[in-house]
Amino acid sequence: MDSGSRLQALVEEWLQAGRGLAGPGVELEVFAEEKRGLTVKAYGGELESLRYSRSRGVGVRALREGRLGYAYSSGLEREDGRRAVEEAVANSRFSEPDEHNLLPEPTEYPAGELGIYHPEAEETGSESKVEMALRLEELALERDERIARVETAVFADAVSTVAVANTRGVSGCYRSSHCSCYVFPIAGKGEEAQTGFSFDVGVKPSDLDLARVAEEASDMALSLLGSRSISSRRTTLVLDSFVAAEFLAMLAAALSAEAVLKGRSFLAGRLGETIASPLVTLVDDGTLPGLPSTSPFDDEGVPARRKELIREGVLQGYLHNTYTASRAGVASTGNASRPSFRERPRVGASNLLLEPRQGKRDDIIGQVEDGVLVLQVVGAHAGANPVSGEISLGALGLRIEKGELRQPLREITLAGKALDFLRDTVAVGEDLRIVPFEGSLGAPTVAVENVMVAGRG
Amino acid sequence: MEVMLLMIDEETARNVLVTALSRGGDFAEIFAERRLVYNLRLEEGRVEENTSGYELGAGVRVMRGESVAYAYTNDLDPAALEETARVAAASSREGTTKAVSLEKPLLALPRREEEHPVLLDVGAYARDGKIDLLRRADQAAREAGPHIIQVVVMLGDARQEVFIANSLGEMVEDTRVRVRLVVQAVAAKDGEIQTGHESPGMLGGYELFHESTPEDAGRTAALQALTMLEARPAPSGPMAVVIANGTGGVLFHEACGHSLEADAVYKKASVFEGKLGRKVASPLVNAYDDATLINRWGSFSYDDEGVRASRTPLIEEGELRGFINDRKRSLRDGTAPTGNGRRQSYRFVPIPRMTNTYIEVGKSSREDVIADTALGFYARKLGGGEVNPVTGDFIFAVTEGYMIRNGKIAEPVKGATLIGNGPRVLMDIDAVADDLDFDTGMCGKEGQAVPVCTGQPTLRVREMVIGGTSEVV
Repeated sequence: MDSGSRLQALVEEWLQAGRGLAGPGVELEVFAEEKRGLTVKAYGGELESLRYSRSRGVGVRALREGRLGYAYSSGLEREDGRRAVEEAVANSRFSEPDEHNLLPEPTEYPAGELGIYHPEAEETGSESKVEMALRLEELALERDERIARVETAVFADAVSTVAVANTRGVSGCYRSSHCSCYVFPIAGKGEEAQTGFSFDVGVKPSDLDLARVAEEASDMALSLLGSRSISSRRTTLVLDSFVAAEFLAMLAAALSAEAVLKGRSFLAGRLGETIASPLVTLVDDGTLPGLPSTSPFDDEGVPARRKELIREGVLQGYLHNTYTASRAGVASTGNASRPSFRERPRVGASNLLLEPRQGKRDDIIGQVEDGVLVLQVVGAHAGANPVSGEISLGALGLRIEKGELRQPLREITLAGKALDFLRDTVAVGEDLRIVPFEGSLGAPTVAVENVMVAGRG
Repeated sequence: MEVMLLMIDEETARNVLVTALSRGGDFAEIFAERRLVYNLRLEEGRVEENTSGYELGAGVRVMRGESVAYAYTNDLDPAALEETARVAAASSREGTTKAVSLEKPLLALPRREEEHPVLLDVGAYARDGKIDLLRRADQAAREAGPHIIQVVVMLGDARQEVFIANSLGEMVEDTRVRVRLVVQAVAAKDGEIQTGHESPGMLGGYELFHESTPEDAGRTAALQALTMLEARPAPSGPMAVVIANGTGGVLFHEACGHSLEADAVYKKASVFEGKLGRKVASPLVNAYDDATLINRWGSFSYDDEGVRASRTPLIEEGELRGFINDRKRSLRDGTAPTGNGRRQSYRFVPIPRMTNTYIEVGKSSREDVIADTALGFYARKLGGGEVNPVTGDFIFAVTEGYMIRNGKIAEPVKGATLIGNGPRVLMDIDAVADDLDFDTGMCGKEGQAVPVCTGQPTLRVREMVIGGTSEVV
C-alpha cells in the first residue's frame, strides 16, 4: 500500500470509530496530513543549516445541527484520532448553530494527470540538495564583483500526502511534491548595501534553474545601487511581475466570499460591475498541471476547477467553499483552504493568475515617458488592505525617463485605492511568472498610470 | 521536595545527546514540548470557530561550527528519539569525532514558574466562560456606534510545557501559560470602510481580564474604526511625527530591534554591525529587551534553549550597548548568553528573537511633546510594517493618525504610512515622554511566529516621510 492509500484507510477508519464516539446527529470530517521535507541554507560557502521536517497530524471537524467544533492532534496514532474526535465533538456543543455549516457531498474526482508529484524529490540525496544551495550562493557571488555577499541561499523541498473523508461519503487522497530555491544577494558600494532576490519553483529538484535565479537576484541588487528618494508626484508605475503578484494577494483576500459575506472586502456588492480596465482578466484554476496549488480536490474534498473571477474588467464571482456557497446560494468553487491540519477549512485561492496579454517588460517600459519601475514593495501585509482597498507601500525601483531605466530609487511610497489601480491599468505583459506565496499567484509585468508616489525630495 | 515527572527521563536524554554527537559536533540539544491550545473566534455575533489542539514533539539539534542540523519527531519514545538524533547526526558532514563527555548525569536547573504567577489557569476556566468573554467584547464594540458593521473577536489560550537538555549537561523544564484577546472592529459609512484593533494578552492565565476587561478592548477597537471613518486622506511628504506610547513601539521593534539580533549582525545584514559603543541614537534614547518583566506577553523564565531570561541593555544614552543572541551566536562570538534563543515550536530551530523590547521613559510629558509641535503628524496607532535590515529603510501603516496643528491634535487622517530609515529616526528623536506602555504582537522571522511585546513612551521624530494620497498638508 502506498503512503496515500494508507493515509486514506486511516482517515476512513477514524471516521467509522468517530461515528460511534460522536453519537447520532453529528456529522464528521477527518483530515490527515503527512509531510516530509528538507530545508538547506547556505551561507559564506558553508552549510548554514539543514532541517529535516516530518510533520504529521489529524484535524477533525464536527457539526452538530450546524454547530461547529474543531480539534487537531499532532500525530497519526490511534490516540491522536480519538482525541481529535472527542475534542471536536465537545467543542461543537458550545458554538452557535449556523444552517450553512455543511459538509460537502461526494463528487467524482477528475482522473487526469495533474503533474504535481515526481519521485525525484524523494530519490535525490540530501548531499545533492546541499550542493544546490551552495551552488546557488556561488552563482550569485560570481555574477559581479560588486556582489559583496549573499544573505542567504536556500533549497527546500517537501513531499506531502493529504487525505480527507467525511460522513456524507467524501473520501480522497493525493500526494504532491514541491521544490523551491531562493537567494538574497547583497550588492555593496562604500557604505551602501542593496538586496536583490529571486526564486524558482517546481515539482522536482531538476526543475529549478539555479543560474537564472542567481542572475536575476544579483542583477536586481546591482540595479538598486546608488538609489535615492525623489520628490512626491503622480506618475506611471511599471510593476515587475513579482510585485504585480503581490498585489494579487490583496485581490485574493478581497475575492474570498468569506470576506465578502462578512463585510470585509472592498469588492463586496460589485458582482457584474466593471471594476478594472478591460485588460484585466483574473482566473483561479486549481487544475493547471504542475502548478504549486494544483490538486484533485480542495481542503474539504470538493473537486478543484477553473473559474474566471474578473473577465475583461467585469467582476464575475468570488471564491467559495461549501459554507460560503451555501450562504450565497451558489455552488462551491473548490476553494476551501487550510494551511495545515491545525486549522479548519476557510477560503483561499488556488492558482490565481492574471491572464497574460502583450509585450515583454522592456516593451512596456519603452512606452513610458515618465514613471517608476517597481522592483520591490515593502509592507504589503500592512499596507495593502483588502478590507478598505487602500494601498500604501514602500517601494524600491528605478526611474523611467523616455522609455529608459534611469536613477535607482529607495525610500519612496506608492499610495492609492486598489480599484483605481485596477481601473488605471494601462498594460499587461506576456511574461507570466508564478509566485508560490499565499497559495500560488501568477502575474506578468503590469503598468498602472496616475499613482501617487511620495518621497523626501 | 516535589517529585517532577520529566517529559523525557534523564537517562534517555543523555543517550540521545550522545547519539546526536556520535559523528562529531560542538553542541547537541533536545527540545521537547507538549502544548494544549484553545482558540475561539466570534464573528457576526456568532462563535464560528471553536478549536482545540494538542501538540507533542521533540527536536534534536547538532551544532558544528556555523552549521546546524535539525530533525524532529512527534514520538517521544526512547527509540524514536534515538532515531531522530541519528538523522540529525548523519547530516554532520564527515570530520573528526570529538569526544563528548556526558558520563555524569544531566543537572536539572530549578523550575522558575513562580516568577510569572498564573492565577486562573486555562484548564480552570470553562468553555462557556471563555465564550462569554468574546460576547462582552463584541457587544461593547457594537454599542460604540451605529456605523460599526462587523466585529471579529478572537481568544486564544495555550499551555506549553517544555523540556530542554543539552550537551553542556543541563536540563530545564518550564511551563508557559498564555492568554490573548484580539478584537477587530469594522466601521462603514458612505462606501468608506475603516478598521480598528486592540489585543490585550499576557504570560499568565485568565486573570488577564481582571485588569483589562473585554469591554475595554471592544470599545477601543470600535472607536478607532469610527474615528478613522471621519478622517480625510493623509498628506504626503516630510514632517515632524509624534508617535504615541504603547503600539508605537512596533516601529523600534521592526526598524531597529531586528538589526540588534546577533544573527543579523553576524551576517552583516544589520545597520548596527561594528557599531558597539558608538553613538547610534539621540542621547534621549535608552532601549532594552527584557524577558523578565512579570507576566508580560513576551516574557518567560527560560528561553527555548534553557537559558535564563534577562534584561539586555540595547541602547543607553544614545550609545549602542549590546545585541541579543541565542546559544549559537553566544558560543560562536564568545559573548555572554542573553536568553533570546526562541522558536515557534519543536518543529523549528531556535534563533535570536526579541521578547519585550522597549524604549525607556524620558523626562517630558506627552502634553508638552505635542504642545511643542507646531505642524506635524500624530501616529496614535501603527499597524504592521516592513524593514530592509541591510539598509534600515522601513515602512509602517498608520491605522490611527491625526494632524498636529499649533501644538494641538487636529483632524484625523487615513491611509497614511510612515517611511524612513531606522538609524536616522533614532538620531532624529528629539523628545521622549514619561508614559511608557506596551502592546502585544506576534513577531515573524524566518517563518516562525513568537509572542512579543513592543513598548515605548510618546516620542517625537524631527522628520519622517508621510506616504499619503493627498497633495494638501
